[in-house]
Amino acid sequence: MDVFHGLLTGFEVAFSLNGLLFVLIGVTVGTIIGMIPGLGPITAIAVMIPITYGMDPAIALLLMAGVYYGAAYGGASSSILLNAPGTSEAVATTFDGYPMAKQGKAGKAMATAAIASFVGGTISIIFLTFLAPTLSKVAVSFGPPEYFALMLLGLTALSSLSEGSTIKALISATIGFMIATVGIDSQTGTARFTFGSAHLLEGIDFLVLALGLFALAEVTSLIIFRKEKIAESSKIGSLKLTKQDYKDIIPTMGRQSVLGFLIGVLPGAGGTIASFLAYVSEKKLSKNPNAFGKGEIRGIAAPEAANNAASGGAFVPLLSLGIPGSGTTAVMLGALMVLGIQPGPLLMADHPDVFWGVIASMYIGNILLLVLNLPLIPYISKILRVPRPLLTSLVIVFCFIGVYGISFSTFDLFLLLGFGVLGYVMRLVHFPASPLLLAFILGGMMEQSFRQALTISNGSLSIFFTNPIACILIIISLASFLVPILKTVRKKTKVEQTMDM
Amino acid sequence: MKKIAAILSLAFVMVISAACSGNTTTSDKAKTNGEWKPEKAIEITAPSGAGGGWDTTARMAAKVLNETKIINQSIGVVNKPGGGGAVGWAYIHSKKADPQRLFVTSPPMLLVPLNGQSQYDYEDFTPIANIIADYAAFAVKADAKWNNLNELFADMKKDPSSITIVGASSPGSMDHIQFVKIAKAAGVDITKLKYVSDQDGGGLTQILNGSADVYSTGVAETVEQVKAGKIKVLGVTSEERLKGDVLSDFPTAKEQGIDATFVNWRGFFGPPDMDKNALAYYEKKLKELSDSAEWAEIRQKYGWDEMYMDSAEYKDFLKKENNEIKTLLEELGLAK
Repeated sequence: MDVFHGLLTGFEVAFSLNGLLFVLIGVTVGTIIGMIPGLGPITAIAVMIPITYGMDPAIALLLMAGVYYGAAYGGASSSILLNAPGTSEAVATTFDGYPMAKQGKAGKAMATAAIASFVGGTISIIFLTFLAPTLSKVAVSFGPPEYFALMLLGLTALSSLSEGSTIKALISATIGFMIATVGIDSQTGTARFTFGSAHLLEGIDFLVLALGLFALAEVTSLIIFRKEKIAESSKIGSLKLTKQDYKDIIPTMGRQSVLGFLIGVLPGAGGTIASFLAYVSEKKLSKNPNAFGKGEIRGIAAPEAANNAASGGAFVPLLSLGIPGSGTTAVMLGALMVLGIQPGPLLMADHPDVFWGVIASMYIGNILLLVLNLPLIPYISKILRVPRPLLTSLVIVFCFIGVYGISFSTFDLFLLLGFGVLGYVMRLVHFPASPLLLAFILGGMMEQSFRQALTISNGSLSIFFTNPIACILIIISLASFLVPILKTVRKKTKVEQTMDM
Repeated sequence: MKKIAAILSLAFVMVISAACSGNTTTSDKAKTNGEWKPEKAIEITAPSGAGGGWDTTARMAAKVLNETKIINQSIGVVNKPGGGGAVGWAYIHSKKADPQRLFVTSPPMLLVPLNGQSQYDYEDFTPIANIIADYAAFAVKADAKWNNLNELFADMKKDPSSITIVGASSPGSMDHIQFVKIAKAAGVDITKLKYVSDQDGGGLTQILNGSADVYSTGVAETVEQVKAGKIKVLGVTSEERLKGDVLSDFPTAKEQGIDATFVNWRGFFGPPDMDKNALAYYEKKLKELSDSAEWAEIRQKYGWDEMYMDSAEYKDFLKKENNEIKTLLEELGLAK
């Protein structure tokens, strides 16, 4: 079956009354769940699984796909409005999104996020439509050494996240790496830093750390410095982007969608790394990198385009190989098996209605999301008009609900509080929190792939250099670490020389 | 604001309902005539997150037990993820003797405590009945040079460092031990095996791109890939050949002259010191479940085998399994 015929079959499924209805339900539920900090796409899909029992598999998958990208859209809202990223994919959006909201430009920030998500999503679906079978080879091309090199490249984002002192950023990152080692080490089965507690065996969940360090710390400083003027931040501002804004973000969205899609195709790498790399590369390309982190519109467009493109990319290994590319697609794989469909290399041949139905639903879903989200922005953003004492307590409640929802354990709530305190103290002494979170996200996978690679090579480091992809990625990472340092050194010596004279 | 209120109330309802389901009080007396019946909703704990093997078994069993009216009380499934089961077991253990709480378990019930990661082991609970069995499969890339387990093990004996085995779980847990057990029976020096754990489900990717050589996993995970001609299965760990399309083509380790099997058994346990009459009640009901046509359909859907054992048989079986695994772990230096 050629692509167009296939797509036509798909639209037949998706444009049926049931199909449209369930895509609409999916994206709406997904957006709502995604907006609540702590409830991300994984929870959203897990909630949907029981509902899909007994449904037609193609329709069930439409529903779940709708929830999936709906939640990815919704995730940006809490990042921008409340500095509370509900998923690791949405962390990079806080960097410029929250400052923009604070400047009274929440409407514009949200609109940018919605548009960038739409563009990223759409570009990735087009790629998925035409390239899925071809790209399935790319999806399995990464082994442990390549993943290690990719994580290393992701870490170069550190240099861009360190406003002010580089040493403080490095210390912060080191703490992040240390936190990532807590739990059972999967290469040896040894429990590390669990202090005998069964609650720590599984490690620390991303959400506990992110909501503590970002949301709770922010709320705490809002409460403590409540006397400071906050007039601006309750404004929502216009949704309209100026011509200049569009000019700024169109190339950004274009290139970051492609990057995001390609990273999304790699199982395990996914939206988080895509969004960080997008943010960093955009900052490096910018003529005015200092504007980033202070409410730069491209700082929102880049990660949002990339993470939505990545969520499309993650469908490549799932649909073409039966390999889930992310935690969310893994849950979807489980759900499909319940419906009697085992995604695998033969999915396209055995169940063309499922394969193409999903792809067609993504086109429709993306348009629905844009139509649904843009008019809702003023209403959602009204959360900022909620009186400050009420809003801060709401955020605290949401954080606790979100964390309790992952493990149903009160232990995690205390951890959340602890990280909230840590985040607040770090703010007071001007330690940036984002390097910690980045190191935590990348650290675990980086360590595991490093050790897997060394086991495979019987302990020889040469595996990282004899492998072409890994080698290139490592060289790029080293260059992006070293070039800025050389630049500053040269500047310094110049300054010193002029001073000498 | 209305929207937010709606979201908030939704969230609250979720939390409250979660809290309530965890707070039902214990007040059951065995009736004088020795008959016992649940007087309120039954709670089945899956000591894992949603979607895994334990969770699927629990949810499917709850569904069939209710739909076929084998048990008339409503049955809820609770997820207690963490520590490979340890968090869930600690939770059940704290609910001493409440006969309304069951949990689903499988070989990690033996492996995790033996690895020193849980203070409670199978003897701290009441085994009620086993209901299903699943088996391990060892797969390699379709164009790999080995065509059966003996060729693979022969190369492993020559140079163990040249072959990498990949599985999802960490050393000392299921994917590792199932391979070790068969390899040992074939005469391979198991202390020299090169095992890599890929917990993000990358095991399949690793054999497809040649990073690792052998994938130790469950039978069901291999079927689609074999059909597509991407991988081949060198051996499965069941006693006899499995039934079903593709499955029946997989040779067992036994028929290749390696005298060992590995069963991924799955069954129901109750809290410590469970009431005798309650135990008898559940044994009977689970037997009915196992014999029902509806459950047969579920088994077929997931590729599970029937394996019913009542409480007494189950206990003997567990003891034997536990000793075998303990010996393996001791030899590997992993036992705590």
